[in-house]
Amino acid sequence: MKKLHIDHNSEFELDLAPLLAVMVKLVPVLLVSSAFVQVMIVETELPQVVTQAIEKQRQDPKKTISLEVSPVGGIKIVIEAAGKSSENLVPLKKDGGFDFPALHNALLEVKKANPEIFQIDLIPENSVPYKDIVKIMDETRKARDLTVKFPVFDEKKGQTVETNYMFPEIVFVNITEG
Amino acid sequence: MSRRSRYVSPIKKNSSFALNITSMTDMFTILLVFLLQTYSTSEVEVLPVTGLNLPASNSTSNPVLGIKVSISKEFIRIDDKVVAGVKNLEVDAKDVDAKDKNFIPQLFQELDLIAKKADQGPAKEGKILLQADESLPYETLRKVMYTSSMAGFPQLKLVTVVGD
Repeated sequence: MKKLHIDHNSEFELDLAPLLAVMVKLVPVLLVSSAFVQVMIVETELPQVVTQAIEKQRQDPKKTISLEVSPVGGIKIVIEAAGKSSENLVPLKKDGGFDFPALHNALLEVKKANPEIFQIDLIPENSVPYKDIVKIMDETRKARDLTVKFPVFDEKKGQTVETNYMFPEIVFVNITEG
Repeated sequence: MSRRSRYVSPIKKNSSFALNITSMTDMFTILLVFLLQTYSTSEVEVLPVTGLNLPASNSTSNPVLGIKVSISKEFIRIDDKVVAGVKNLEVDAKDVDAKDKNFIPQLFQELDLIAKKADQGPAKEGKILLQADESLPYETLRKVMYTSSMAGFPQLKLVTVVGD
């Protein structure tokens, strides 16, 4: 039998033409469906337990938490319960901007003390820029640290579950004010 | 004058040659990866209005269907229709109701018309996708929010861009 001779050092050129043909067709398709600016919306897609807790709070508002935002005085966290109110001021930074990390930490403490509250009333002054309002909403919705969890009682299952939502229900309460 | 005879290389007109497409394939591969990253899977396409800087947010909710209202530094629009002007980052005084300073009559009329025509969908549910310039003060936004809620659109979805 004749032995087949294989040259292991031989070189050959890979035919890339079909691969290129596929890519040329794919690129226009992807170019059309690409989003170079990723647009999102600020919305509250909430777990059912959190939605139930918000609904319960709406029906029986024992405690309200509000944020009074002033470009001059900073952000004031006001907690009202049983006719009494307590305030916690998050002052402005030295450059005159809002101190968002300090606000987040302050809200974490408020949430730890009031885990049953999911709604917050936002009261910005007229001159507060929109971008700052969006940032405040970002700091308010969820705990940045994913290890931080807050207990919430699931009435359907009869057990306590944990969530990292702080105050996802944000209401602009001064819209109708003059 | 002597004429020098030049050497002319022989050109084979019927010869074929292999085009080296390796570098082109590299380029297309990089392009493909980049385009795959920016591929949008959102069911609703929101095109940012020209000349309008949306605020950045860490929200990851995809846009939903809604009536598209935009507030730039010059105009308030419903889709592409201008309903009021903006001057010095505030709603133009001539477009605001004389009795109620928060009310924008033209915006109300247009939204009211949309709400009355709608049998189902976002208009029936009162959903608005609000695109507003990040530099606008809350006062301007408040007037649009107030008028929208009066017209039966209390669900405002604030459109933002991804980033910190």
